Amino acid sequence: MVEVAEDAAETGGPAAGGVPDPSPRADGDRDRRDRETAPRGFAEEAIGHLDTLYRGALRLTRDPAQAEDLVQDTYLRALRYQNSYQAGTNMKAWLFAIMRNLFWDRFRGGRPEDVSLDGDGEVSLYDTLRDQTAMPEAEVLDRIAADEVVRAVERLPELHREVVLLVDVEGFSYKEAAEVLQVPIGTVMSRLHRARRQLQKALHEYARESGIVHADRDR
Amino acid sequence: MNCRDCLERLDRYVDRELTDAEVEEVKRHLVDCPPCEDHFRLQVHLKRLVKVCCDQGEAPAHLRAKLRQILF
Repeated sequence: MVEVAEDAAETGGPAAGGVPDPSPRADGDRDRRDRETAPRGFAEEAIGHLDTLYRGALRLTRDPAQAEDLVQDTYLRALRYQNSYQAGTNMKAWLFAIMRNLFWDRFRGGRPEDVSLDGDGEVSLYDTLRDQTAMPEAEVLDRIAADEVVRAVERLPELHREVVLLVDVEGFSYKEAAEVLQVPIGTVMSRLHRARRQLQKALHEYARESGIVHADRDR
Repeated sequence: MNCRDCLERLDRYVDRELTDAEVEEVKRHLVDCPPCEDHFRLQVHLKRLVKVCCDQGEAPAHLRAKLRQILF
């Protein structure tokens, strides 16, 4: 059905290309911001991303205390390097890049470039076709509890999890995600593809184990 | 476009990373191919579900207060 395709494609994510500022502001706010000193404007804008950064930190660390530490350190570093931020560019992406680097440095003992990559090669289409029997139906997903979806995301390997967070949760384009992660766009695509396959499998397993789908529906 | 080409583009289709011409090609294939359309619907559903489920919750008030002290 083309209607379904059009509708879903339109809401499937943001258009490619940089979005200068993902959080729209009223003109009055902008005027007020312009009148303020630059550091205060920077701080206002930065703290506007607190909730989304905290949620991202929680997904990365899977621990509320560590997430708080990570977010606090992210803001401290952002404040220290605020001169390197160009006003009018994507501050959310800039903050995520800082947080993501801190996460790897502090919690994982080195950037992922130094960590052996998890088979991050070509995506095998053959695998995708072969795995069709291990996929849930779209409607089945709606019957899975939100907590279980979050758990499935949090169980993804970190390199895959961070791509899902950036593209699917935060709505970054591939290009923006590639800049945050400092990897080529092709790497974003292959990690994203793998992550989604893993999520499909995990949720299918859960649906079967919890009786949402019966084993005899598996072909 | 065959199924292989379609599935290879499905992530980018769902993420709105294809050109207009590519989008039209994928759309045309999906109209005629229920199995590929199933793949597509699943992908869209999953993406929405992940967004909705992971995009909930606020930062703790004490963290916000502490950051305001640091930043302002």
